[in-house]
Amino acid sequence: MEKQPIVELRQLSKTIGKKKIIDNLNLQLYPGQITGFLGPNGAGKTTTIRMMAGLMRPTSGEVFVEGQSVTDHFEETMSKVGVIVENPEMYKYMSGWKNLLHFARMNKSITKERITEVVEQVGMQNRIHEKVSKYSLGMRQRLGLAQALLHRPKFLILDEPTNGLDPAGIREFRAHLRKIANEEGVSVFVSSHLLSEIELMCDRIAIIQNGQLIDIREMNQVEEAHYYIEAQPVEQVRELLTARGLPLEVSGEGFITKIEQEKIPELIHSMVGANMQVYAVQPYRKTLEDQFLEMTGGGQIAESHKK
Amino acid sequence: MLNLIRNEWMKLWHKKATWIMTIILVIMLIGIAGIMQWATSTIQQTEKTPSWEVNLAENQAMLKAELANPNIGKAEKERVEEELALTEYRLDNNSAPLDPNSRELYVVDSHGMLSMVTLFVVIAAASIVATEFSQGTIKMLLSRPVKRWKILTSKYVTSILYALFLTVVAIVATIIAGYLFYDSSGGSLLEYKNGSVVEISYWGRVLTLYGLQFVGVLIYTTFAFMIGSVFRSSSLAIGLSIFLLFMGPNVVFFLSRFEFTKYVLFTHTDLTGYITGNMFIEGISMPFSIAVLAVYVLIFLVISYWSFMRRDVTA
Repeated sequence: MEKQPIVELRQLSKTIGKKKIIDNLNLQLYPGQITGFLGPNGAGKTTTIRMMAGLMRPTSGEVFVEGQSVTDHFEETMSKVGVIVENPEMYKYMSGWKNLLHFARMNKSITKERITEVVEQVGMQNRIHEKVSKYSLGMRQRLGLAQALLHRPKFLILDEPTNGLDPAGIREFRAHLRKIANEEGVSVFVSSHLLSEIELMCDRIAIIQNGQLIDIREMNQVEEAHYYIEAQPVEQVRELLTARGLPLEVSGEGFITKIEQEKIPELIHSMVGANMQVYAVQPYRKTLEDQFLEMTGGGQIAESHKK
Repeated sequence: MLNLIRNEWMKLWHKKATWIMTIILVIMLIGIAGIMQWATSTIQQTEKTPSWEVNLAENQAMLKAELANPNIGKAEKERVEEELALTEYRLDNNSAPLDPNSRELYVVDSHGMLSMVTLFVVIAAASIVATEFSQGTIKMLLSRPVKRWKILTSKYVTSILYALFLTVVAIVATIIAGYLFYDSSGGSLLEYKNGSVVEISYWGRVLTLYGLQFVGVLIYTTFAFMIGSVFRSSSLAIGLSIFLLFMGPNVVFFLSRFEFTKYVLFTHTDLTGYITGNMFIEGISMPFSIAVLAVYVLIFLVISYWSFMRRDVTA
């Protein structure tokens, strides 16, 4: 990679009691990139995020932010990090504004103008002076985002950020993240259970299972061309495809096969020529969910995974 | 650090409980004075109280009789001699003591009312860390570019500031109650010092008593703060602190014949005993008490910081 990573996890491990929650995790996060963090329940997502946010101390290994260790340079590194861990719990008995003021005072030199700016960014200007206890979950999420952005972080950690947002809110949120990633070069790390969400939002996903990172992949990697073919009679279709040496996978009424796009017209032609009834030939894209379940074995509590 | 304390102060005063406790304190201090005054006024109307000279003369005769007793202990003898010297000084110099029903004596004697301040400050100090955990805001607070010890310090300082604030409120309320329900009267305060009787300043005495009482408030505040930050449960911290506030001195009283009581915290939480002569443990002095208290406070704080700084936040 030509770019320097903003955040780097080096051999991060966490043992609680005798249980190894996180096992030797290595991960680099780059500016301007949104990285999704996926894993079944209990895989260690939240623990990893809490270690990155300075809430938990790693048993061994370290988190580096721009080359500085979070453990050794807590104040320097954390001033570059914005965090929303699970639901943003605010002081309910104070107004949204006072909450932001509170967090602003914990950073160096955040002006009132900057608070106003962030409030407008997240669209809260009309109700910012109301008590947080009167806010809906979605409004609290917005306020949570506002506090995370106050100090213009270079790295944003979001744990389940769209929880409680309505579809319009989610869309807006996504656009927002894209914007700060592209325009300000912020590196974003998002964990979520909503796989479709991650799919729409992220450039890259990291998958964790049983405390180990099992895969990191770029989302825009060119998918191998899969097609769904449905035609009758089934037996003849199977023969035809096997004869051409194409891999087959039965899916409902038809087959999924891997074939280059240029060869599709010729394939249809020969099927029609052989008097087959062609109902559908369409590009088939595995959803992230399929890939995810495939990789994690579908099981929530799979046995420990060894590479 | 100043900003952190401002934050804590802001959060403290946005909680309704803080206001309610402050208002209750004022109402109780003034209300109790009113009720007491009303109660005494209904009883004492019939009989006429004798003048202070008559009282002191009786007292003098009694003390002399006591001294004449050959079986009197050494400590007891010293105490009686002191009291006798004070009594004789008053009679010889025609120097009246504070009138029992005067505003001045009321204010002096009300220093014990600061235990109410203790009660309220304990509640605030116990919850200042614990509620951050119970409401989940701790993860927002600790993922900031501020070291944990600074955050804990700001919370401790805020607890103490609140204690100081309530103490001042209590003193002012007591003085107001004094003006509302009691009349001023002459009289002086005497002290037996190095074998001679000296007159001491009234406000000096008031400040000394309230100051020493405030030390007790600080001890309980620190204790509640420790329990609250270690166990992250404000109810446990409040319950335990209040239990000890009421039980501690009694337990010490029962155990007073044992040597180790000298090192028990509750022997020393009420330092005003050294001024009013209510110290019932033998062989301890003010500097010793202060040393013991300092050690306890240090231990409480070390435990608080140690547990807060190394804790993994899972709330």
